Amino acid sequence: MGRVGSGLLALPYGVWLLAAFAAPLGAVMLLSVQESSEMFAPLSLLPSGAQYAELVGDPFYRRVFLNTLLLGAGVAAASAILGYPLALWLTRLSPRWKPIGFAIVLVPLLTNVVVRSLGIILLLAPRGVIASLVEGIGLPRPELLFGWFAVGLALTQVFLPFMVLALYDVLEGQEKRLEEAATGLGAGPAARFWRVTLPLSLPGLRAGLIITFLLASESYVSAALVGGRKVWVSGMIVLKEGLEIMNYPLAAALAILMLAAGVMATLLISRVVTLLTPWVAGRAPRVTFSLPPMLRRILFAVAEAVAPIVSRVLLVTAILLLVFPLLLVAVASVNDSPQATVAQFLGFTWRWYAMVLDNPRYLDDAFTSLQLALACVAVSLAIALPAAFALVRGGFAGRETLGALYMLPLALPGIAIGLGMLRLLQWFTALPPFLGILAVHVVLVAPFMLALLRASVAQLDRSLEEAAGGLGATPARIFRRVILPQLGPGIAVACVIGFLISFGEVTVTAFLTTARLQTLPVRIYAEASFSLENTVNAISTIFILMTVALLLLVNRVMPLDRVWRR
Amino acid sequence: MSLNIKRRALLAALATPAIWGKDAVAQIRRGDELTVGVWGGAQERLVRQYCATPLEQQHGVKINFVLGGTIERRARAYAERGRPSFDVLYLNIFESRQAQRDGVTQAPSANVPNYANLYPIARLGGYGVAFNPVTIVYDRRAVAAPMTSWKDFWRDDLKGKIIWPTFPGAQGTAALLMSAKVWGGSERNIDPAFQNIARLRPFAAIQASQDQLYGMFDNQVGAASIEFGSFTRKYAETRNPDIVVADPTEGQAVAVNVACITTGTRNQALAEAWVNLHLSPDCQRAYAEQIYYSPTIRNLELPADLAAKLVMGEAAVEKLVDFDWDLVISNQARWSSRFTREIAG
Repeated sequence: MGRVGSGLLALPYGVWLLAAFAAPLGAVMLLSVQESSEMFAPLSLLPSGAQYAELVGDPFYRRVFLNTLLLGAGVAAASAILGYPLALWLTRLSPRWKPIGFAIVLVPLLTNVVVRSLGIILLLAPRGVIASLVEGIGLPRPELLFGWFAVGLALTQVFLPFMVLALYDVLEGQEKRLEEAATGLGAGPAARFWRVTLPLSLPGLRAGLIITFLLASESYVSAALVGGRKVWVSGMIVLKEGLEIMNYPLAAALAILMLAAGVMATLLISRVVTLLTPWVAGRAPRVTFSLPPMLRRILFAVAEAVAPIVSRVLLVTAILLLVFPLLLVAVASVNDSPQATVAQFLGFTWRWYAMVLDNPRYLDDAFTSLQLALACVAVSLAIALPAAFALVRGGFAGRETLGALYMLPLALPGIAIGLGMLRLLQWFTALPPFLGILAVHVVLVAPFMLALLRASVAQLDRSLEEAAGGLGATPARIFRRVILPQLGPGIAVACVIGFLISFGEVTVTAFLTTARLQTLPVRIYAEASFSLENTVNAISTIFILMTVALLLLVNRVMPLDRVWRR
Repeated sequence: MSLNIKRRALLAALATPAIWGKDAVAQIRRGDELTVGVWGGAQERLVRQYCATPLEQQHGVKINFVLGGTIERRARAYAERGRPSFDVLYLNIFESRQAQRDGVTQAPSANVPNYANLYPIARLGGYGVAFNPVTIVYDRRAVAAPMTSWKDFWRDDLKGKIIWPTFPGAQGTAALLMSAKVWGGSERNIDPAFQNIARLRPFAAIQASQDQLYGMFDNQVGAASIEFGSFTRKYAETRNPDIVVADPTEGQAVAVNVACITTGTRNQALAEAWVNLHLSPDCQRAYAEQIYYSPTIRNLELPADLAAKLVMGEAAVEKLVDFDWDLVISNQARWSSRFTREIAG
């Protein structure tokens, strides 16, 4: 494939972004350079830095902005630390249990954010589970709730699945013989992980870090729910200024600053991973540092001693953190209490299930969401997979920059996309409603799939393709018989994630939903805006069961691991 | 400059067909579709039963719902000012008055027959459909003595145990304004409020919605807060009998849910018929019975035990503490910024 040709593969993705994302982004950018904060002031085309000056000049905003970035970094790091043991566990599961393992990882993505937050409150409350345990062993009662720790925990819980899935495919695809070789040369588990597994999985880690960092630094719902408003993050300010005060220009300017920070973080993470994986480009390592041999030996001895315990503790912690919401929603879904609660059980009832299943409106909305999510995954895959090949294999200049540009929709906070869309509403409503929302959902979903697929494509064994080509296979045949089977798990994982994101999207969709098209999450959100009922938990439980079924099916059609490797 | 003029001309050109297309005769015709923006859950069920179904059966029209929270709904309505996709939307007290002032929604009028029965305070910014006053709510186990005054928040036994409501928002606005009132200030002189609320720090938490507060009460995170009395009473009765909805001596702060007809709606008559049904005694009674929202119409009798839990009658409505909402709205951005920095941050 020629250099230009491989670059062209990235084109459909770019065209879609231009068609569906450039407009709202442009609207946000234009809003951010308005001088007047008045709601109905005519838009001026003369750029003004007034909003940016206000943000940068205000120590409160500066502090919030910085804290948010630190929070994002912290959550990304915590997700990586908990994600490795979990992803490794997942790769070692037998094929029969693999779908169940995946379902466990996906639980937080299938439960409502309010319910998850109630769970965090239950855990961390002054009289909650953890505080009671700590007090039980004679220590002073800790102040855990309504602070950075609670917010970080809540975010790690929900973004951990992204990290695990980003790591899963590269770990699963790793050459098992390398580990055997390392063992044969006397390396213990800690040394094997540090010297073999970790370096080889860095492309997956890159995807995971970028996704978790961007998601965590934009999130605001969890921070608002378990931060008790003592924690302020940039997303909350965008929401407050943009929607409550209706100061769109200031909100837009902050969103653009968040976008810029997100892009820089993406480039930084990519750059570091590229430096740490010189063999991908066939270069000699640029940075080398080593500890004195004595110190290194001690360090490895200690690591080997504690590794088995630490990795087990981390694995159990991660699984508990992921499964905890499942327990909550399952119990709450049969709780006979008028409002959703996790604090007490008032009696058993099936009525929430009956309310969901008897009510055609839930089912209609669920069907709409299902169609939307399926269409969204199909389109996203069709544009993201070629783009992934282009970004991994293309020889064109500016590949890294293009890669960062393609992640832009992930770096712009959802509310800002919503605000931008509001300005474009009259054009948007001229589109068929399904197509309009689909266009936006693809913009939101495709970057995730691209990030995951990029890691999977980087993992492909090119010698197999060369061998097939040497034996006279056409490119199409190579793609079908050699590339696709290797990419199977990666594609399956990307599709599952894409499906769940589209199926659960509410931040942007809430602005775009009309009488003609309403999705299920928007209905649930609307209910929560008055009072959350246990119907939401019944729905979550049904989803979780359906996800297990779906994963079992996917595993049949497109195995979640590379069968021939076994 | 010339660009600006050109753009205005273009806008005018774009708007013209919309004016031509507008139906001058306000009548309900079969097949008309009314789009209503409202909260979900119990509220959706109630308006479907008492407003949508009768209209659909009687006139052969179709009612479309756009469900969501107040802020998305309001943002949409503002973005669509003059060419609305909503015909009727529901807002809270100050948002509705602001929307009317900004030309997004219409002032209420006697074209809606039940308008005549509304209390005067429910005739501002649209049609008030429910009184939902904000008051003190507390956990009786966690306070030394019952709370009877807004000043009780400054009692020693509540130090560090208060869950304050965030600003803006109906509860946070009421909390700020009532604090100003009891400490010698007012909406014109807000400093006493900020100074005295800051004295209450540290808070056990800051809450941003009734659901969030109930979750906190469930887990005994704090002792007292400021919330809608209506639904909190429901919560206390069904889930947490230790929660008390107080009736402070200084009064409860007024809050109203308001049905607003959009400016530029093409279904004026149908929208008015909708609002009229919402103001009918049957609908108002159902709201009172199911979620303790107090009626805004005078012509409704309720059983004494139910009435005792509501704001009923001239005297009780008169006692609700009202504020100069135009002033509150114009200060919102400034107060919000102060709140974030001095109280919550």
